Amino acid sequence: MATHEIFMPALSSTMTEGKIVEWLKKPGDKVERGESVLVVESDKADMDVESFNEGFLAAVLMPAGGTAPVGETIGLIVETEAEIAEAAAKAPAAPAAAAAPAPVAATPPPVSAPPTPAPVAVPAPAPVAAPAPVASGRVVASPRAKKLASQHGVALDSLRGSGPHGRIQAEDVERALGLTVAVPRVAEGSGAAVVVAGTNGAAAAPAPAGEAFGRPGESVAFNTLQGAVNRNMVASLAVPCFRVGYTITTTKLDALYKQVKPKGVTMTALLAKAVGVALARHPQVNAATSADGSAMSFPAAVNVAVAVAMEDGGLITPVLANADKTDIYSMARTWADLVARARSKQLQPEEYSTGTFTLSNLGMFGVDRFDAILPPGTGAILAVAASRPTVVAGKDGSMRVANQMQVNLTCDHRTIYGAHAAAFLKDLAQLIETNPESLAL
Amino acid sequence: MGPKLDAILFEAAQPVPFLQAWAAQRSLQQRLLAQPDGPEAVLLLEHEPCYTLGRGASESFLRFDPRRPPLPLHRIDRGGEVTHHAPGQLVLYPVLNLQRHGADLHHYLRQLEQVVIDVLAGLDLEGERIAGLTGVWLEGRKVAAIGVGARRWISQHGLALNVDGDLAGFAAVVPCGLSDRPVGRLVDWRPELTGQQLRGPLLGAFAQRFGLDLRPPNPQEGLQGW
Repeated sequence: MATHEIFMPALSSTMTEGKIVEWLKKPGDKVERGESVLVVESDKADMDVESFNEGFLAAVLMPAGGTAPVGETIGLIVETEAEIAEAAAKAPAAPAAAAAPAPVAATPPPVSAPPTPAPVAVPAPAPVAAPAPVASGRVVASPRAKKLASQHGVALDSLRGSGPHGRIQAEDVERALGLTVAVPRVAEGSGAAVVVAGTNGAAAAPAPAGEAFGRPGESVAFNTLQGAVNRNMVASLAVPCFRVGYTITTTKLDALYKQVKPKGVTMTALLAKAVGVALARHPQVNAATSADGSAMSFPAAVNVAVAVAMEDGGLITPVLANADKTDIYSMARTWADLVARARSKQLQPEEYSTGTFTLSNLGMFGVDRFDAILPPGTGAILAVAASRPTVVAGKDGSMRVANQMQVNLTCDHRTIYGAHAAAFLKDLAQLIETNPESLAL
Repeated sequence: MGPKLDAILFEAAQPVPFLQAWAAQRSLQQRLLAQPDGPEAVLLLEHEPCYTLGRGASESFLRFDPRRPPLPLHRIDRGGEVTHHAPGQLVLYPVLNLQRHGADLHHYLRQLEQVVIDVLAGLDLEGERIAGLTGVWLEGRKVAAIGVGARRWISQHGLALNVDGDLAGFAAVVPCGLSDRPVGRLVDWRPELTGQQLRGPLLGAFAQRFGLDLRPPNPQEGLQGW
């Protein structure tokens, strides 16, 4: 018997991955040689992918809506009907929903058919990204992963695949080699972390109340970015985290903000600057545990990443590089540019993946406290809540009203201990409470 | 530069219903699939008012009920989100064997953008690309939309350049899924301009960019219903 693989085609020399728009065939369907089996999209171009062989589609390894790197096997074709079951059973995808022919049929009644192919509202099975150990003991790897592994002498059977059904992807090999993986390093607390861009800083994102990515009754596949964020968040479960909170009086910071706001400086830039200055004095909190867990890595720079929710789901962390050394006016301009380009998905990997510390601000929504999930590869993330007028008692028994906000630091305890976190927060609070003017220098 | 490639030009003087033009493209695509070294082709036309959705397009960018569209709505085999066609918009549908032109779909999209940029330069206008947002932009307004489909590297669909048509139809959709990017038309920069005048320059820039020698169809190359 012969099993033929269908690969994600390269539609362009500049294409690294493609999105599967639609499978034109279902597992079990007869496929003629040269017949279109699926449609792949990259940028504003669609390409029909044809089978080079006559036979039957035995398995779909990446469902519609999913994204696969160029060269990745995305489906299997067998020559005879009798081989379908065998190939499907051997295929890494076989036991999962993705390969089962049934789900497609069990969808809502068709929309009144227009003259063109009916709008397909079929809830595609979500791309399976969770690592699944391969039970058969057979090593399943993408061609790119195999090539990388042989080039660098990595034993594939020593790796755990992060692809569909435990398939070893090129990025798994890169990770094993300690190479950086260009996936947004992002994680966030329970909600969407929106950081308001804009030069006035006040106008919040025009998100309608209760945004949702799907309509009632639908099942909506995670997009590429959401998938990447999900993988990172799940990875953070392997990190022993703890959290430390602090209440910071912001009366002086708020006064400074009023002064610099007309010059285009946002609260985000001010906070990033304050955090950057404090981090420069607390290198331990800027450090991270190395990928293999054997060392503490101390970055050469203080790069503050700030979480920004994307309107179509997922979030990204544009990086304010050298936040300790950059003036707030340049930082505010850089930030506005980063956010604008993040929204139109034009950021370069180094612009969102080089943060050494992350800031997540939900203050503009009036949130009084929250905690954040630690992005992999970094040591700490600071969750910043709203600043609100609060009755404050002095040590002498006096009472006054001051603006206060709660911040909450999530740390990787392997590198950062409670005392480090506390000292950093104390210093940050002192800077913001007593000497915020220094930030504007 | 090698000898020019033989290409057939199909031009329609009157606005064409979308489905008719789509059928024509598919039939030309079939010809090239069957005979990959045969002549390439291009359609130049304007459409009767309609909306089209790319294959993976989201209906959330429609500001109307897709079951009761204000104009004909077609889901078609190209990439990209919703767009709108109407008279006054020049539409160019090249049916090319892209293996003769680099076999690179991203490069092809950039080449189509360049055709429009060349046409605009002839009007002393500076068309721009925005990285990540396929199309051609003039002072922040999108004047040309681009979306293509291919099968075995034989292309269909192409570009739509707003010249002097009514843009009101765009208000019922979020063109290309970009809510914060307005659509523009050339007549707002060059008030005397008409779509009719720009047909020649558009074909010229296209033929130049892709090294084509455009000619009318032979009697046996005619398209049914064209």
